[in-house]
Amino acid sequence: MHRFYVLPTLLINVVIILAPALLTIALAFFRWDGIGMPVFIGLDNFKALWADRVFWTALANNILWTLMFLTVPIGIGLLAATLLLVARRGSMFFQVVYFLPMIIATAILARIWQGMIYSPVSGVNGLLQRMGFPTLDPLTQPSTALVGIATVDLWHWWGFLCVIFFAALRQVPQEQIEAARIEGASFWQLMRYVLLPGIRSTITLMMIMTVIWSFLVFDFVYILTQGGPAFSSEVLSTLAYRSAFYDLAVGKAAAVAVIISIFGLIATAFYIREQSREFEQ
Amino acid sequence: MERRTFVKSALVLLSSTALAAPTLAAGPISWWYETATPEQQGVISRNIIERFNAAHPDNTLSIDYRGAQLDNQMRVALLSGSGPDIVYTAGPSYVAPMAQAGQLLPLDSYAEQFGWYDRVLPVFIEMGKYDGQLFALPKTYETLGLYYNATMFEEHGWTPPTTIAELETVADAMLAEDIVPFSSGNALWRPTNEHYVTLAINAIAGPDNVYKALKGEIPWTSEPFVAAITKLNEWWAKGYFGPNYFSLNGEQQVAELAGGRAGMMPSGTWQFQHINTYFPPANAEAGFIGFPSVEGEPVFPLGVGSTFSIAATSQNPDGAAAAIDFIFSDETYGLMNTEWQGEWNTPLSDLSGVTLGEDVLPLYTEAMQTLAQSVAQDEYGYTTWTFLPPATVSFVVSGIEEVWLGRTTVEQYLQQWDATFQQELAEGKVPAIPAR
Repeated sequence: MHRFYVLPTLLINVVIILAPALLTIALAFFRWDGIGMPVFIGLDNFKALWADRVFWTALANNILWTLMFLTVPIGIGLLAATLLLVARRGSMFFQVVYFLPMIIATAILARIWQGMIYSPVSGVNGLLQRMGFPTLDPLTQPSTALVGIATVDLWHWWGFLCVIFFAALRQVPQEQIEAARIEGASFWQLMRYVLLPGIRSTITLMMIMTVIWSFLVFDFVYILTQGGPAFSSEVLSTLAYRSAFYDLAVGKAAAVAVIISIFGLIATAFYIREQSREFEQ
Repeated sequence: MERRTFVKSALVLLSSTALAAPTLAAGPISWWYETATPEQQGVISRNIIERFNAAHPDNTLSIDYRGAQLDNQMRVALLSGSGPDIVYTAGPSYVAPMAQAGQLLPLDSYAEQFGWYDRVLPVFIEMGKYDGQLFALPKTYETLGLYYNATMFEEHGWTPPTTIAELETVADAMLAEDIVPFSSGNALWRPTNEHYVTLAINAIAGPDNVYKALKGEIPWTSEPFVAAITKLNEWWAKGYFGPNYFSLNGEQQVAELAGGRAGMMPSGTWQFQHINTYFPPANAEAGFIGFPSVEGEPVFPLGVGSTFSIAATSQNPDGAAAAIDFIFSDETYGLMNTEWQGEWNTPLSDLSGVTLGEDVLPLYTEAMQTLAQSVAQDEYGYTTWTFLPPATVSFVVSGIEEVWLGRTTVEQYLQQWDATFQQELAEGKVPAIPAR
């Protein structure tokens, strides 16, 4: 009888996730403008992507984005969480401060950075320029646009990771930490041999989720640069969006979505393998 | 409540709803609109919604502001048959695929009934046609021209340019004085790029060549277009567009021009709505002329930024047609253009019955009269967002950045432009091009 308890969630998943996913996969093999009748074209959408240099730029940007998010926010988050654990005084206050950017809507955050920080007219950047500093709006340069967007996302993201890691660190047995201290372990040794191994599964989960989320990134990129200038900050999701809603090439957009999903599936497979290993242990 | 009583009540409620359904279905008229500020929403509400509902007690016109993503929402809604009665598109290029897919109602009978063929400029009737049937009427028509800071020009002894050579002379003089020649920017609206492409192909290649390319008679890779885009690229390389092109938005362009940090602004007539906000506080006066051309005659590229159609699934098409007709009245034209210039220039063929408020900029009235005259005399150019099909427009917008930033050549840009256009031409997605 208890097997039927999963029915409601299963039904929701089939209707909301499985059906659209299957439709998207099917559409990847059609030419469709989103308005008329789809025409079956086999692998042509994928062939077109293979020959499209914007697709390769977008894919490279997604990989770069993933690398940035696998290192910078996780590193800062871990360091800050450990400091919160070691120096407990005021930890609640700092947790709230670090977490605050997460509760502000993405669109508002992006507009704040665009208008109040980066803008050469109304932002801090403009103020520095008027004071004689040769600063540039990073969003306007092909070489810095992606990093400029990532900075905004990193600023709002690392605090979330910090709070997650802090919660995990608090689960590490206090006796192990005390024992390490009595043995004379330095801060870095405590990190390396006690704390990090203690929250390994949390770090792994967050890294896997980071890979998945990095290939889904859309909001900050679309709001801040729409993939420009000259496609320099294009990522796969903005390419899919532009294909579907501006070029009216829904089939090509579906093909891009399928490729995004492949990366997500690989990351999910890693996660499931890690989980089953833990259960076995 | 007992089960029997509940069932009875439910049946009564259902039957009353069913009986009332035909009357209700004839009443509401839904209209989705793009982005509008609270002040602009007030203008629409006062001058259109409230007046229409007062004059048509059997209908209730309601407007829903859907923001900058209206096009996308509209496409999805029409596909699922749940869109509004009045279909507001981003221009004729969006109408053709929708008409092709049977999502729009032909308007020919309403055009007869309301006399639109006589009251609307013929060019715009042609532009709203697909396969010989009328599917759309333009909400507003617009053009691109050259705004300039008249006070700055007077102080420096510059005269407004009429030829490309004169334009470059003035622009170079501005650069020498550390003034940005073209106040421009695409920060919040990337398609701003195509304004400059439109100006280049019309002013340098000429409207006749653009017409031929739109009809598929010459390719976009032809020499006149190579010359036009090469010139545009030269302007970019020389710094005419300034160092902050990717940071500035449309309103900031006007602020830069009024503040004297830029001398000219190639832009559309929709910018008239910001002139009074920025020029008087800066103690400056604005000027507006047709964009200079190689031959010296100003070119007015004709643009239709948005159109009205009726959804094929509309439950109240008669009401929707009445609402569109109401917007096309002399009174509504006068009221809307008095409070909100540049966005409600409905293409009425006779403006003699229109009364505008005293606060309306004479510059705006003159510009619109000149445009109406050039349209009536078939002496107009072509804006990319009005006459090119969707995927070509999308490429024109994104691709020009690659040319400017040295990531592709002018020739490669035009080759891909032409390839995309030819494919859409073959698929019947090119909007109707009125005969020249």
